[in-house]
Amino acid sequence: MIRRRTLAAIVLVPAIAAVAFGWLTRPDPLPASAILKHEADLRSGETLYRAGSCLACHRPPQGASGLDPALPSGGRPFPTPVGVFYPQNITPDAETGIGRWSEADFVNAMARGLAPDGRHYFPAFPYMSYRAMRLSDLLDLRAYLMSLVPVSSPTREADVPLVALARRGVGLWKRLAFRQRPWPPGADGSPSWQRGAYLVNAPGHCGECHTPKNWLMIEDLGRHLAGGPHPAGEGKVPSLHGLLARKKYAGVDDLVLALQNGETLGYKNLSSGGMAAIQESLSHVPEAELRAMAEYLLSLE
Amino acid sequence: MRLSKPAVASLVVAGLVLGTSLAVVYADAYQDRHMLMEGINDAMKPLGAIAKKQAPFDAGVVKASATTIAENLKKAHELFPAGSDGGESRAKPEIWTDREGFDKQMKDAQAAAVALQSVKDEAGFLPALRTLGGSCKSCHDMYRLPEKK
Repeated sequence: MIRRRTLAAIVLVPAIAAVAFGWLTRPDPLPASAILKHEADLRSGETLYRAGSCLACHRPPQGASGLDPALPSGGRPFPTPVGVFYPQNITPDAETGIGRWSEADFVNAMARGLAPDGRHYFPAFPYMSYRAMRLSDLLDLRAYLMSLVPVSSPTREADVPLVALARRGVGLWKRLAFRQRPWPPGADGSPSWQRGAYLVNAPGHCGECHTPKNWLMIEDLGRHLAGGPHPAGEGKVPSLHGLLARKKYAGVDDLVLALQNGETLGYKNLSSGGMAAIQESLSHVPEAELRAMAEYLLSLE
Repeated sequence: MRLSKPAVASLVVAGLVLGTSLAVVYADAYQDRHMLMEGINDAMKPLGAIAKKQAPFDAGVVKASATTIAENLKKAHELFPAGSDGGESRAKPEIWTDREGFDKQMKDAQAAAVALQSVKDEAGFLPALRTLGGSCKSCHDMYRLPEKK
């Protein structure tokens, strides 16, 4: 016969643990009242869309019939050592895309990593970088996405072990990860340098792959943009400091040409490991903005 | 069937010799195609310089570079025997699981290099170079792994 105290422990300990887990992992959304009124600028929205290479991940699967590869209807598998993720449809389709999302829904997705229903996104969606984006920029980006042609393409749940529990557990990780600043401060550079730092680190989210992560899967800012293992599990992502130290790019003009053209003009190694789609996206960023990014990147050497 | 000890031993030795020689062939396939690709990279440099207006357009230079690229591509295409991935090679397994797609990419690239050989003026040069460079890009995107070291 089980004694009463043992029985109480068997029931109570897990119950208390579950409540604590639920409380520690609770979502922390911004209220709708935090969203200020803003006249959206579609050109700024498109620049952010291109600088962030949204399409590089939110593309339809390769060769999917009936889905325009130039529209971010999502679904292309994104393999990682943790599991396979299927980026969401971010066209304004009402049923399967973001067509019904309010401004607050969009801002919470980008800056807090929260779905409109309050579930956590896995950080394969780089909200750790996007959280540093200005609110007005997020609203410009939303307006640009809303101006795209809607595509119907349902989003598939990630292939991750114990996915529902893991998803909830992301809340715990966020409590730690959100404490860190998004990127190390640099010299108090010119306005174009500041703009470049912002574009590279916030919408551009270069550090998501080019900065190594610590054992908690949080970016190690002591090695900011110093390269690391490839997120797909094989090979590595180069250190941007290393590329500059090896004088791979002769200056701002040269780096801008490299980002605009990649291997089309013979700039080596800008196409593998997923960089081709990113370079393709960057080629649509206005030149003045690319120059700002190049100015910042070259200052990292 | 029962085999005598010497027969088994000779089979083992034959297997080892065959295995080693295949490994050597594959290692060489990787080394050789790697050299050819480096040659293509070198040949792209004068073309890139013209495109970036760091050098004047010169039909002779374009023809020579495009010829090297076309020849190297043709030779390299034959140096992807099954099983020659791994090690230092950045070849993706998709080269062999999607051989048709890979072959098409290589042939498109060769055709683009051949087309570039006969470019006569600056107006025709840039589009032809972009087609060739675009084929490098899409093939590397699909069939080349990220850097290893």
